[in-house]
Parts: sequence; structure tokens; C-alpha cells
Amino acid sequence: MRCSLYALNRSVVMANMALSCCARMKNGIKILKATGNFSRVGAKMQANYCVSASSSQTYPGITESTEEYKYVERLIPPSSVPTPPKHDQYPTPSGWRPPAAVPPALPYMVRRSRMHNVPVYSDITHGNRKMTIVRKIEGDIWALEKDLKDFLTHTSGTTPLMQVNEVNMSIRIKGSFDKDLKSWLLEKGF
Amino acid sequence: MSISKSGAKSLDLLKKLPRISLVNLGPNPGAKKNEKRRGRGQHGGNRSGRGHKGERQRGNRPRLGFEGGQTPFYLVIPKYGYNEGHSRRPQYQPLTLNKLQYLIDLGRVDPSQPIDLTQLVNSRGVTIQPLKRDYGVHLVAEGAENFSAKVNIEVQMASELAIAAIEKNGGVITTSFYDPRSLCILCKPVPFFTRGQPIPKRMLPGEDLLPYYTDAKNRGYMAELAKIQEARMELARTYGYILPDITKEELFEMLSMRKGPRQIFFGLSPGWVVNMAEKKILKPTDERLISYYNSS
Repeated sequence: MRCSLYALNRSVVMANMALSCCARMKNGIKILKATGNFSRVGAKMQANYCVSASSSQTYPGITESTEEYKYVERLIPPSSVPTPPKHDQYPTPSGWRPPAAVPPALPYMVRRSRMHNVPVYSDITHGNRKMTIVRKIEGDIWALEKDLKDFLTHTSGTTPLMQVNEVNMSIRIKGSFDKDLKSWLLEKGF
Repeated sequence: MSISKSGAKSLDLLKKLPRISLVNLGPNPGAKKNEKRRGRGQHGGNRSGRGHKGERQRGNRPRLGFEGGQTPFYLVIPKYGYNEGHSRRPQYQPLTLNKLQYLIDLGRVDPSQPIDLTQLVNSRGVTIQPLKRDYGVHLVAEGAENFSAKVNIEVQMASELAIAAIEKNGGVITTSFYDPRSLCILCKPVPFFTRGQPIPKRMLPGEDLLPYYTDAKNRGYMAELAKIQEARMELARTYGYILPDITKEELFEMLSMRKGPRQIFFGLSPGWVVNMAEKKILKPTDERLISYYNSS
């Protein structure tokens, strides 16, 4: 709007009055006639930006309200993972249990993932090579490896191959034991 | 300290070994293998791995799939329209009752408010891609035995057992239709509000989906309420559970909340513009606009 007024000279503006009956243009022309100054036109039009119900017929009016904004706030997604609420009974119907209030007195610690779950994952390569990974280990990883070996030898009979990654503090086990290891870690209180 | 330091073995090694420099850095044995150089030496030279005479050595083999004149496999098999009209087939992302219970237990979905597709997407329970012909979410009954949450849930499709499981626990389930544009807005409301456009009217289902949403057995949003009440009792009789009376609940008002057939969000009518920067809602006052947006 502003650029078009700057570009036109007075005679063209007068001619255009008949063609475009837009309220803003009309206001601009009024100010131009009164002040004779193109720069004041733009400033005035910006001040009249909020269109009220009393202005021209072409722009319909609006009413503002803040009462229903609470419904909009409900639609905004949360920016961080919420902490789980306290339940009366554990495990919850979906089988989730929180970590023990006091961490167990062991030389190692297995933290929960950011979604509050036990960090045991299954991996598969070449379509048939199944592995289990235990992540987020802190403390004496070799003590955990020994305990895992004892537990898995007891349950499966054979000693599974295990790889200890000291840099990432994770243990990779050959074979799929994710359900067993999850329940074992939950029993320990991790 | 009872807990010994992590990575003790590697740290000890680092202390004993000499300083790292370019002289003692190198790849692990067997990590790097020299490339094959054709046309050089005893093994790479002579015929250079191209075989003896014929099309193979002369580089004149026929196109891929040619079988020496026999009708090739890709022409023998007749054409069949498996994927014909795939872009006109509505797809629904499955949501198991297991997953729903897990989301409620972990506090990602609030059961004290009506559960909408927006709430499910905000909790990252489902991922909907409206641009890939997804028309919403399909509630599936896996985990119905362990489901025990009283919710007012609105999905796009639901299996019979899932409806039974929700109503058995004193909840309310509704199936409703969202056209692709409304679905985009429902799944990602904030980018829509920043555009400054008025909330559009939700379109009604087409003739192929209309019978689904007018049927009380599917708890469709266009079905009559009396017939839905009958269907609830019928389902309780079929599956053999007592239908709890929700009118006597404290959360009855929340459970009976339903969207209008043309409404996309709870509490917000079509035609309104949301100004998130100033936390205001702009409503039109022109009669024509109001009658357009409020018409069914």
C-alpha cells in the first residue's frame, strides 16, 4: 500500500480514487491532500492498523477475547518428558515400575532412560543375529558383567558371549535375553 | 569409595603406554586392504578379470532381464492392480490399548481431560502423517485384559473389542472423521495458529465412510445418541460385563464432552483466529461469516 502511494504522483492518485474505493487508500489520499507530504501518509496508515468495527464496509469487524485461550494452551505440546505420577500399586496395569527410592548397595548402577524405562535393548543384524544391549551403566562395569554371566548361565545353561564397552559403558550379549534382563534389573531395584 | 572407577583397565593402559604421535598411530591389522588394480601384474593382468572371449570379455552383454530369447520372468507374470488407487486408500495408524495404558501410567496422556488425536500426538504415542494418506488413528484391542483406565477418547476407527474394553472401565469412546486438511491442523495445531488463518470447518465424510460414522455400533459421531446407548448395552451383554453408569460419576461432565460435527478443537469454534503472541482469540462479528461457520 505504502510503496504504491510513494510511486504515484498526485494526478494519478486522484484518478485512482474513482477506481479503488478501499478505505485505507481513501484515508491515505485524505492525509496526502492535508499535509502534501508522502512520508506522513505511511505513518498515519500504520497507526490505524487495528481495524475496528466502526471502519469501512469492506473489512468485517472482529472481537477479541482471552477467556477461551486456555483451550489453546492445552493443545501446545510439552517441551520435556513429564515425570510419571505416583501410583498406589506397582507394577502399574501396563507393567511399569519406578526405580527403587534407595539405589541398591552394589558396585554398579544402571540408570533409567529419559522415558523412565529400563535400558535393555535388543539388536538384530543380518536378519538372524540377535543380541541384547544393556546401556547407561555407571560404576564397576566388570562386576555387573560377572553378575550377568552368573545369572544367564543359571537360566540358559550355556555361558553367553559378552562384550564390555568401557567407553560407552554398555554391555552387548549374544542372544536375545531382553525380557529376562529387564525383570532381573527391576528385581534388583534399578 | 566402594564403587571402583569406571574404565579402570583402559585408564591403566593409557598411563603405561608411550605418548601418542604420528609415529605410533596406525590402523588395526586387517582394517585396511589394498584395492584390486586391473591390468597390472601376474594376477591383475592378462585378461584383467573379464573371462575368455565372447560378449563377457568384449563388454557386449544384453540388457538386464534378457533370458536369451525365452520370454523373460518380468513379462511372463501378468499385470495385476495390487497398488492401483493406493493414494486414494485411507490409512489408519494403529494404537494398542497396551500403549494407551502405558502412556496414561507414565503421565504422558492426561485421563482427566478428553483424549484427542492432538493429545496422543503431543505425548508422542502415535505419529500421524496426514500427507501420506493417513486419516487418523485406529484403536486396536491388543492388551484389553490389562486395560483399566477411565477415559473419554476420540479416535478415527476402533475395533469392537477395544470399544468394549473402554466402556467396561467406565469410559466413553467416539469415532469421528477428519478430512486431510483438518487432520493436519489437528495433529500440529501450533504451526497452524502461527499462520494466522481462521480455524476451518471440519468437512463431513464422503459416501464410502458415511455409513461407518452414522453407525452406533462403531460409536460414530453422527450416530443418534439413543442408538449409541442401546449399542452400549448390547455390547455389554455380548461380552458379559456390567455396564457402569457414568451419569453418577464425578467426571461425568468431562466424559460427556463431545466435539460438534464441524469442530476441530475442544472449546474453539471454526472461524476464530488464534493470536499466540498476544494470547488472544479473534472472533468475527460479520453475520455472513458467523452463519457460514456455524452452519452444519
